[in-house]
Amino acid sequence: MKLKRESGEELDLELLGHDGAKVRVRVGERQIAAEVQAVSGGGAIVTIDGKRFRVASARRNSSILVAVGPRNFEFEPVEESRRQHRGLAATEIVAPMPGKVLNLMVKEGDVVETGQPLAVIEAMKMETTLAAESPAIVKRICVTAGQMVDHGAVLIELSPPPDSSGRESAPPET
Amino acid sequence: MKNQTIRKLLVANRGEIALRIFRTAKTLGVKTVAIYSEPDAASLHVAAADEARLVGPAEAAKSYLNIAAIVAAARETGADAIHPGYGFLSERPEFARAVAEAGIVFVGPRADVMAALGDKVSARKIAVAAGLPVVPGIESAEIKAVRSFTEEHGYPLLVKAAAGGGGRGMRVVADDKSLEAALEGASREARAAFGDGRVFIEKYLARPRHVEIQILGDEHGGLIALGERDCSIQRRHQKIIEESPAPGLAEATRARMIGAALSLARAAGYTNAGTAEFMVEGDKFYFLEINARLQVEHPVTELRYGVDLVAAQLTVANGGHVSELPAPRGAAIECRIYAEDAEHDFRPAIGTLLHLNVPSGPGVRFDSHLAPGVVVGAWYDGMLGKLICYGEDREQARSRMVAALDEFTLLGVTNNAAFLRAIVASDAYCKADLSTHFIEEHFKGWRGGSESDDAALVAAAMAAVGTPGAAASLAPASMSDGRVTPDRSPWSELASFELWKSSR
Repeated sequence: MKLKRESGEELDLELLGHDGAKVRVRVGERQIAAEVQAVSGGGAIVTIDGKRFRVASARRNSSILVAVGPRNFEFEPVEESRRQHRGLAATEIVAPMPGKVLNLMVKEGDVVETGQPLAVIEAMKMETTLAAESPAIVKRICVTAGQMVDHGAVLIELSPPPDSSGRESAPPET
Repeated sequence: MKNQTIRKLLVANRGEIALRIFRTAKTLGVKTVAIYSEPDAASLHVAAADEARLVGPAEAAKSYLNIAAIVAAARETGADAIHPGYGFLSERPEFARAVAEAGIVFVGPRADVMAALGDKVSARKIAVAAGLPVVPGIESAEIKAVRSFTEEHGYPLLVKAAAGGGGRGMRVVADDKSLEAALEGASREARAAFGDGRVFIEKYLARPRHVEIQILGDEHGGLIALGERDCSIQRRHQKIIEESPAPGLAEATRARMIGAALSLARAAGYTNAGTAEFMVEGDKFYFLEINARLQVEHPVTELRYGVDLVAAQLTVANGGHVSELPAPRGAAIECRIYAEDAEHDFRPAIGTLLHLNVPSGPGVRFDSHLAPGVVVGAWYDGMLGKLICYGEDREQARSRMVAALDEFTLLGVTNNAAFLRAIVASDAYCKADLSTHFIEEHFKGWRGGSESDDAALVAAAMAAVGTPGAAASLAPASMSDGRVTPDRSPWSELASFELWKSSR
């Protein structure tokens, strides 16, 4: 199966098999042999090459959360991304966290440059500016200033810039 | 005539600090009242109190900042004192005044003293009058005045909120080009956070340390200092690691800073617990501000002095006296666990806590309101808890902190524990190469080590296979040919490994 790490790195991961506490996992071309031992109160000890790691994991919606000691990981199953679009880094600007839309710096039809601030969202009293990742045209503004939004909510839809080599009507690359 | 005894204490706060104050109240036989907002109904601070009152919806302005509702809750429950904790209303003179006018003891300085010192601009004036050195600056954000200030002192400069704290409403301005936007942004953020958009300007010091002095005063003129804390390690101008003593601070400088903090407190007629913050460069120090409340990092001082600062606050609020304390011992370090992604610009995180492993052992203290099932939302500050380690010396405290963070696991809410661990284990931290630019200098673009990656991949592969319902879409090919069947998966054998909880 293909999983994406929080860093964006994609991994081809397969559980090859197990024998009691012994587990074999394939990562791309590489294999990991581990021993997994449950711990009272939740979590497990994963032993790899004689090194022991305290691990806990859980599901949240479609993603898999893993903690190794104090370190947190998040893995998401990779689907063919609908957001990729020729000539564009992203076709949607989404809320990176739940919060309040403080300010919208663009209007529909605006041509924006890479790095241009599009919106400011406030969460935990901190302001975060969301900027364009590539040149684009603002296709649609989906929220109003002052609105509370959830994590992942689409704030702004973008379409390719006028001088883009891609055709706007082109379907996403698959 | 003040010589009353507080019998019932309302804490106008939430989270770890509310819990921490209740713990002290209990040891003193003082009854406790919690207040809470709608999403906090199931919080541990509510469960820990003898009584609890709902004061409003999630939005802080309507709940934890709702003076009328909080004072009404105190009246209804017969609370004779209110402790404000830190943040929220703790430094709002109008709150202290409303509490006093309701005939309730406010555990903190008097409203007029708070008004004079809590406002950064006015505090600067008092400090200058009391002979304290301050960072060059101007009390105006008017663009022409700022430009003429920069002609003399140059860039970078710092825009700060007059009513500020916790780095909110603060901006570093590198050049003239970004000046106007920074002034506006800081003012907007300050208005949102504190209801007061006034900002002022200071010269930005090149490589300062942040060192602060804990003070405690009574109503009879008694005033003591409880040493210093170094709080240089900050991100977004917000402290994440604090320690005492301040490593490498010259004894003479420390003594002069304590003298300065005491003369300022005396000049202002300060009572109860407070903290004078300074920037230190070499043997020079500059007064920054007074925090007219208990600080987040107060446990660092408690461990070295063997005092309970909340108990001391209640003694003073009861009209009692402060007395000089024995010399402090050892060293203490605090790490603040925040719900944030240290690998991505410290972006705030949210989620439901699914699994928690709390460290313990000699010299280890964890102040927190966390428990499995706690929902960390976007409504309030993202601090999840404070890990505090004490040792005979800095190195023992530090190595205890590394071990404690290794033992710490929090699943479900992205947090900075691994980042804190990397810092306290680093050479730069060992050498105490401290400045407020520590993270910028030593941990810019930090990524977690790869050592634990394989363990995480094993867990992820097992979790993907073992997920009820999701097995069909996520199962590896080997499942369909019978080598690993769902009922024979490692999952059924290690059922307690995973916590099948959804965040919904």
